[in-house]
Amino acid sequence: VQPPEKPLQPEEWNKLREDFQSPEIFEEVMFNSMIRCNSPIDVAKSLLSHLAKRNGDISYSVLVKYLTLCVQQGQVSEICDVYDIMKVRFKILESGAYNLLIKGLSNSDQWRMALTLLKEVKKIMIPSRTCYESCIKAASRHQDMKLAFELYNEMLAKDVVPTLDVLQSFFDFSRGMKDAQLQKELFAILLYLRDNQIYPHKTFMWSIKLWFESIPGGNWRGHLTNIKDSGQCPVCNHQLEDSNLTEEEYSNLSERIIRDVIHGTDTFRKTSPQEFEAFQTFVENRLPFDIVIDGLNVSHIKPKKMQCENLYDAINCLAKENVRLLVLGRKHMLINSSNWKREIMKEMQNKADFFFAENISEDDAFLLYATLRSGKHCKFVTRDFLRDHKACLSDSLTRHLFRKWQRGHQISKKKCFSSVFSQQPAFRYDCVVQTTGDTWHIPYKDVFEEKYSYRVPRKWLCIQQKL
Amino acid sequence: MQSANMFLKKTVRSCVLPFAAQYGMKKDLFPLSRTLSLSLCLKQDNSCKPSEKLDLDAWKKVMKSGLHEEVREMVSEPQEPSSLAAAREILEMWRLAGRLVPENISEEQLKTFMECPSKSAKRKYLKYLHLKELHKKSDKRKMDEKRERRLEAQEQASKMDETKKSSFICMWSNSMDKAYNWRAAQSMIFGQPLVFDMSYEKEMSVREVTNTVRQIVLGEGSNRRSVDPFHIHFCNFKDNSLYHKEFIKHYREAWGKLLITVTDQCYTEIFPKNKLIYLTADSPKVMKSFDHDKIYIIGSMVDKSIKTGVSLARAKRLGLETAALPLEKYLLWSTGAKNLTLDQMMHILLTLKDTADWKKALEFVPKRKYCGFVNRPVQELKKSLDLINTLKLGKRREEVQKQFAKNYSKKYKLK
Repeated sequence: VQPPEKPLQPEEWNKLREDFQSPEIFEEVMFNSMIRCNSPIDVAKSLLSHLAKRNGDISYSVLVKYLTLCVQQGQVSEICDVYDIMKVRFKILESGAYNLLIKGLSNSDQWRMALTLLKEVKKIMIPSRTCYESCIKAASRHQDMKLAFELYNEMLAKDVVPTLDVLQSFFDFSRGMKDAQLQKELFAILLYLRDNQIYPHKTFMWSIKLWFESIPGGNWRGHLTNIKDSGQCPVCNHQLEDSNLTEEEYSNLSERIIRDVIHGTDTFRKTSPQEFEAFQTFVENRLPFDIVIDGLNVSHIKPKKMQCENLYDAINCLAKENVRLLVLGRKHMLINSSNWKREIMKEMQNKADFFFAENISEDDAFLLYATLRSGKHCKFVTRDFLRDHKACLSDSLTRHLFRKWQRGHQISKKKCFSSVFSQQPAFRYDCVVQTTGDTWHIPYKDVFEEKYSYRVPRKWLCIQQKL
Repeated sequence: MQSANMFLKKTVRSCVLPFAAQYGMKKDLFPLSRTLSLSLCLKQDNSCKPSEKLDLDAWKKVMKSGLHEEVREMVSEPQEPSSLAAAREILEMWRLAGRLVPENISEEQLKTFMECPSKSAKRKYLKYLHLKELHKKSDKRKMDEKRERRLEAQEQASKMDETKKSSFICMWSNSMDKAYNWRAAQSMIFGQPLVFDMSYEKEMSVREVTNTVRQIVLGEGSNRRSVDPFHIHFCNFKDNSLYHKEFIKHYREAWGKLLITVTDQCYTEIFPKNKLIYLTADSPKVMKSFDHDKIYIIGSMVDKSIKTGVSLARAKRLGLETAALPLEKYLLWSTGAKNLTLDQMMHILLTLKDTADWKKALEFVPKRKYCGFVNRPVQELKKSLDLINTLKLGKRREEVQKQFAKNYSKKYKLK
């Protein structure tokens, strides 16, 4: 239905309603299309008045829809009126109405009222993140940074995840302020990005840059740059943090992978205790390896070639540099077949150590174990993103560790159809927000949306303080 | 820009509006109404005329006047612990806002609701209750209609009032029950055992256990009615477990009289190990034919959050043989998981036992999961699948091959 452009008389509304196929939902449909077309609120009001006269009451859902329209158009006095009506009519409101009220009021000079509303919401439920977002933005827009940060910290304490938008607004509204406490809080936000491995998008990065440069007497200068493969920043020649895990992190991760990924709820799901034990003794006797290869995965690189040929190429390519190789496979590879020639298998076994798991066992788990046991220098080869193994880890901290370790240690081949097995080097530096006190390095995304969790940005913002 | 706006306004005022007023805002003027909506934002200034007559804020007065009665109603609600009452109030507001919320909710359900760990869990639970309520209502309505119809029919029949003569007394359902029970009793002595492994309670949520029991009850029913029933065993069955409670809900006093074997022992303690075959979709071995000397085990588990390898792990641990249904061999699989419900498994096994006809047995696989039956060899199937995919999706050959290799990986890898 198309909403009318002018307020209508009750008779006219009645007629429209009768012409509509299902009159019971006429109001609902009409209000929805008013919201969609952003109709003038006078039209909505005339429908409300008609409803009130006919039924002597207006249902809550219709009120909320009217409220949506008012918020959409920033009609502050109407929002207040609707709130007054709702307050006397209903003991409490539900989250949708509160969201709308807070959003509507926070954009006006009545923004203090939005804060009181937020307090009211807190009494009955955990406020949504849009509630917090509106209030924080309102507070920072009015230069009440202290209040904004209070709300922000409260939000974090309640496990409500802030949007990047809110974080960005902090930097936007703090521009040019000289306040040590404020500076500390903003640094804390940058560290929040670091801890959660969040990469700001381009506009957010600009806000950060402009804020740094606007600090009075701070002498901060920012430059956009690409970091070299060696991990050195071309602007300030600073060496970025390397991607190695600390001893503690490393042992933590190995422990968790054995516990959560390999054993999980039931060791029999991925392997069997006997097999795992056999694998453990196999690995311990031959430690340490330099590269661990997922044989089956590598053997599928080129579908036109024989599978053992693919594997053979890969091993030849990696074996040149006199490294110790371990290839993980399954028992069916040992049976002479069209894809697995016995002679080639024999030749490969001279160049590398092989471990063959049961056909129904998961070799990826073994891959992780062997690599981690061999030590920090050891890398592994597979095209698999290992997402399902990451998902087995129970908390986000370990998952981040896993990703970091994976970035630094996984060699995956590029999409190629050339005859040479080319390898993509593992990252040597760690791709997170980092600081040394007088420098900050912040990786950022060109696009707003993050498409792949394994893909890390290559562009950086380098900020340094000239003293 | 300004002048363009003015021009638009003028044209709108001068030509479109009178036209629209003349014809009203009916739907058959669709192309025209589009232009109208585009010009909506320009309208605010020329809408003042009718609003002078209309009291646009009349609704506020009405809303404010009616409030006293409402407040009084609130007071006379039944007493409940405050947190529950608050939750009830929130639910009520959600219902008013048009969310999917049940009208009536018991205290127990309310507690479950409050224990839901996340917002989406809460929403899902409420939707579930809401749909359940709707079903119940429509069932009741249908029952009422049926009763009315029956009463009418009876009235008519009593008018006819002529009893037919027949050599049987009308006691079909009763005597059918007796016949079924006789067969089931025979199966308990001579029948082929079929084991339900009841050791998955820990892997499931409460609702999954409920669904499991429901499926088993259905399966047991079709077994009882079959020509040659299995001797059903519930193994690893713990008294007072969730399974037990759910079964009692379904069977009530009939639970004690069921002609099946219920035990807390494991199947490995009752039967020789070499005779047992664990049926699981994850098994690398595919069942070729139904063996009348073997004892098949079905895991009594519904896994909505597809937990691969749980039952395979159990079989591995006990060193049992496993098997999967040859779904890929006989069906052109399209969507859905390969794990079937327990009553479907029961139907399939019963049919296999009676006829050894895979095609007939696999009729019980839900139709949405497959496109059709195949009796051709895999190579040929691959070609046709290839063709279908290239036609349907325009995919490159390699990708199709990859897809195929994924679907049929077990066969190729496990030469």
